[in-house]
Amino acid sequence: MQWEKLGKIFDPSEHNLSEGCTLFAKSPQALVFDNFLRIYFCSQKKTNNGKYLSCPQFVDFNKSFDKILRLSQGPIVELGKIGEFDEHGIFPLNVLEHEGKTFAYTSGWSRRRSVSIDMSIGLAISEDTGLSFKKYGSGGPIMAATHNEPFLVGDPFVKYLNGLFHMWYIFGTNWNRPSVDGEAERFYKIAHAESNDGINWIRNGKTIIEDKLLNECQALPTVFYAGGQYHMYFCYRNAFNFRNNRVNAYRLGYACSDDLISWNRDDTKSGIDVTEGAWDSDMMCYPNTFECDGEIYLLYNGNEFGKYGFGLAKLGAL
Amino acid sequence: MGFKWQKLGLVFDPTHYENRPEWMVNFAQAPNVIIFDDYVRVFFCCRPAPDENKEFVSYCAFVDLDRKNLFSVINISTQPVLSLGGLGSFDEFGTYPVSVIRDGADIFAIYGGWARCESVPFNISLGLARSKDDGVSFQKYGVGPVLSHSPDEPFIVTSPKIRRYDATWYLAYTAGRRWILGDDGRPEIIYKLRIATSTDGINWSKRNKDIVESKLGEDEAQACPDIFYTNGKYHMFFCYRHGLDFRENKNRSYRIGYASSSDLLSWQRDDSMVDIDVSEDGWDSEMVAYPTVFELDGIVYMLYAGNGNGRTGFGLAKLEGDGK
Repeated sequence: MQWEKLGKIFDPSEHNLSEGCTLFAKSPQALVFDNFLRIYFCSQKKTNNGKYLSCPQFVDFNKSFDKILRLSQGPIVELGKIGEFDEHGIFPLNVLEHEGKTFAYTSGWSRRRSVSIDMSIGLAISEDTGLSFKKYGSGGPIMAATHNEPFLVGDPFVKYLNGLFHMWYIFGTNWNRPSVDGEAERFYKIAHAESNDGINWIRNGKTIIEDKLLNECQALPTVFYAGGQYHMYFCYRNAFNFRNNRVNAYRLGYACSDDLISWNRDDTKSGIDVTEGAWDSDMMCYPNTFECDGEIYLLYNGNEFGKYGFGLAKLGAL
Repeated sequence: MGFKWQKLGLVFDPTHYENRPEWMVNFAQAPNVIIFDDYVRVFFCCRPAPDENKEFVSYCAFVDLDRKNLFSVINISTQPVLSLGGLGSFDEFGTYPVSVIRDGADIFAIYGGWARCESVPFNISLGLARSKDDGVSFQKYGVGPVLSHSPDEPFIVTSPKIRRYDATWYLAYTAGRRWILGDDGRPEIIYKLRIATSTDGINWSKRNKDIVESKLGEDEAQACPDIFYTNGKYHMFFCYRHGLDFRENKNRSYRIGYASSSDLLSWQRDDSMVDIDVSEDGWDSEMVAYPTVFELDGIVYMLYAGNGNGRTGFGLAKLEGDGK
């Protein structure tokens, strides 16, 4: 793979975002229209208790990515009510057009006490081209923890291929502490589910991407088809000390597959890495690949989990 | 018409036993039975002393009652039959309630696992476990829950009652509808009875609808849908309460309700069929809750929890009418 970095294209601190958000544009995910692109991302707003809630928003770009056409106004999907799985934020949000509707698969966050959070996957549906979404059901998730996927079910990425919905997502395998009195940190891995209707999913508790690090967390898989193969990008990091130590921070990983079932990881083929001195010098995370007018693009976040925005790269040679 | 229950009195309250273990300081909640040749093993849930924040965990335990005299406790479990889950698990802070059933030589259990949350006090999902030693110890099926939250059951999936009729497993349970705030700002859960079916006891298909209508309005909370088959009909004894002010106010606390069904899926509620109510005084003077009905040697019995939802232990009643 060879990627040409096109640089950072959106900085939230330069805009008046809705819901009073000023920082973070995490996990950019594109929906391609005839004449423009709608890029969803998650910003953060501070609440009374000093904690943050992730709120999905979007920005519309022209197809040369040099002009912003529109920013979302107000919430595009409401956070959950008291006790619901997405009460404390939605991050990320993955969009899929299907039969005239736009499906948003969401990672809902709910705060716990012995550990910081739990996550489950929700579904919201838009009938106005993704401007606003209405939640499916009565406030609950479509995918939550199960006996063999015991924690933190999130980061959905859905594609409709050959008459079947495929979801790549993550689930938590365990929580652990770096030391006896250290803060509990989560461990999660990438998995795959299938569905006939996009609502009811069949999954098997198996992880599909081999670990590279001893204490590896894998997140946000994204898949595209090119050159007769399926390609997956994702991000991975050390479970511990990953926020401030660039060695342990998120990097992009790569795997390929012929059959959507077995994946061969080979990060050396990813064709993209951090750039010294740039906005993505210490971290690269939350990739989203998409096709637009015959080109494959990659959206991603750089340093500090996207605090100062997201950037774009374009696929050159396979 | 209807079921006439004769109260026989308190059977077990752990506080009456001086040498009880530290994890069984008080409470004997949500009894369920497995019948053995010489004794009836009653599984229930109990609590150790609260932690520094006055919060409890809950353990599953059992007592054996002499089959010839159900007021004679002949054995008390020396260890919790189920361990609490590890860091971050759905059952890290409690295993309550538990429902048990024989499956061949094993005992199969479905239990509520408790996690502690920030905006609400807790969340609950159902875990599964199996015992190969008559219920002395159970091994969990996986680290996570087997029945959890879904689009129309957003939180608090609990109060399981597992049954098997012909080749189908039935799980009656309760699912959270909404959290409402009391005058003190404490969130209280409103939950409604639901049912799911399974061919293997592991993969469940939810019916996704309330199975018993509410008598106290939309804020009625319903729990413990205990199903008993007799005289060609399925009978459900459950408990229900008001949405708020149900802890201290005896007029708003748990009472026992009744519904019947011919197919386990559609139920007709008729509380006039059950005459068991709070007593004038004593251990069940403020509430009657969490019933379980079983037949033993030709007699139909009900075990149920009393005041404080089992804080004062559980007691026994005997069916006089035949319910026809």
